Amino acid sequence: MNVNTKSLSVSHRLQPAMEVMSHSSSFLLPAGETSAKRYALIVLNQNIPCFTPLLWEHAKLRLCADGGANRIYDELPLFFPREDALLIRNRYKPDVIKGDMDSIRPDVLRFYLSLGTKVIDESHDQDTTDLDKCILFIRDSPLNQESSKLQILATGALGGRFDHEAGNLNVLYRYPDTRITLLSDDCLIQLLPKTHRHEIHIQPSLLGPHCGLIPIGAPSAKTTTTGLQWDLTDTEMRFGGLVSTSNLVKGEKITVESDSDLLWTISIKKQDPNKTLRSG
Amino acid sequence: MSSMEEVMIHSSSFLLPSIPADKASAYAIVVLNQNLPRFTPLLWEHAKLRLCADGGANRIYDELPLFFPHEDALLIRNRYKPDVIKGDMDSIRPDVLNFYVSLGTKVIDESHDQDTTDLDKCILFIRDSTLNQESCRILATGALGGRFDHEAGNLNVLYRYPDTRIILLSDDCLIQLLPKTHRHEIRVQPSLQGPHCGLIPIGAPSAKTTTTGLQWDLNNTEMRFGGLVSTSNMVKGEKITVESDSDLLWTISIKKQDSTRP
Repeated sequence: MNVNTKSLSVSHRLQPAMEVMSHSSSFLLPAGETSAKRYALIVLNQNIPCFTPLLWEHAKLRLCADGGANRIYDELPLFFPREDALLIRNRYKPDVIKGDMDSIRPDVLRFYLSLGTKVIDESHDQDTTDLDKCILFIRDSPLNQESSKLQILATGALGGRFDHEAGNLNVLYRYPDTRITLLSDDCLIQLLPKTHRHEIHIQPSLLGPHCGLIPIGAPSAKTTTTGLQWDLTDTEMRFGGLVSTSNLVKGEKITVESDSDLLWTISIKKQDPNKTLRSG
Repeated sequence: MSSMEEVMIHSSSFLLPSIPADKASAYAIVVLNQNLPRFTPLLWEHAKLRLCADGGANRIYDELPLFFPHEDALLIRNRYKPDVIKGDMDSIRPDVLNFYVSLGTKVIDESHDQDTTDLDKCILFIRDSTLNQESCRILATGALGGRFDHEAGNLNVLYRYPDTRIILLSDDCLIQLLPKTHRHEIRVQPSLQGPHCGLIPIGAPSAKTTTTGLQWDLNNTEMRFGGLVSTSNMVKGEKITVESDSDLLWTISIKKQDSTRP
């Protein structure tokens, strides 16, 4: 009998090659560079990062989650000290304010209502966080097409109360098919689902070198990376044992493959405040 | 759940203006390199041992005088002197280092050791000190916020020293590990803490967690990232109990105090 040796060797392969998921942070690039991905911006209720004006300008959709509207109202003018605050507030007008409305100030709410911002009061719904509510709005938006999905950038999800922060990290796990990036002045965080191999493209002028891979939620029996100072090779990671923190990126491309969902985090470089982080 | 499990009692007496003299209330403080919480002077005064992890010394030097705007900064700096500064010394300013060295602070330069975090280094110092005979608790400020990989590394410290009581503190909240090996009784100071709280299965899912004393109690409830995590919960009274098959992080908010109170 003829044995098909080719089929024998195929049967020894564990699984077909995983699809690659590519990550870039082109949204942090100044205007003039092509931004590969379309995104929606959600502003939550913490101090706004210094690059918020840049993110705001190129967003396809701009939402404030409840008290995030206070932040836009109060803090955006501070980035433009030589310009009239009212002009800035008019220019940086959210498309939508959504949430349970227990943090937004009445004067801020009235101001944006008068500008035509859509306000969606979800105070009856205490089961989901303000970030959840905003993500659901974006998913249902006509701007979010199956053929051209919006990725989501959220500021203000970190810091403050730890239970809030944990709930926001959990949002990344609960919407694994949606590209959500949490941003602060210091770092960004993204989910790397175990279903894919990951290629992370770094802009070295804007990001790094500090980074980490965090097995939040469940341990990882095997994670393998390339492009890090301390690469992992089928390495186990778990809380109580090794977690990859204070790692460093070595170049412009990192790859990650894991049996477990991981959070990827990389530091954001402090920019020269004299260089404008917005289009001219 | 086994009724044979030992109970672990958690109190936040360190937030009180004057603390009980019992052993369980004794603690060491570790200051890491983030903005000092506003109750730092209080924690500092009652600590048995005071450590700064590297750049935490900059924070004590720069920010403590700001809590006493009517007093001379040099007097405050002399009064709030760390016993020890330990770490890899890549953040502490030379002028700050010189100042505390001249006051007699013990400085332990561990820059050769890049495998452990500054918080690790401080915990090991405390465990090896004579204080450990008293099973001292460790309070750490500045472990949260900033870079997320730093924060995750600091949360991991709670898991890696499960036999040591470590409490991470910020202006907004505290975090403690509740090991699965025990039933837990958490005593809340309602004038100082809450009502917002949460139970977070950071490292591994929990098949069954049961609580009492919360607005939304759990009853053999499963918790996991990707599913239910108990956040934006609320404490109902002054005693919370927790029992789980998995290590959990307990977190509770700290109330903003009247700033004119000492």
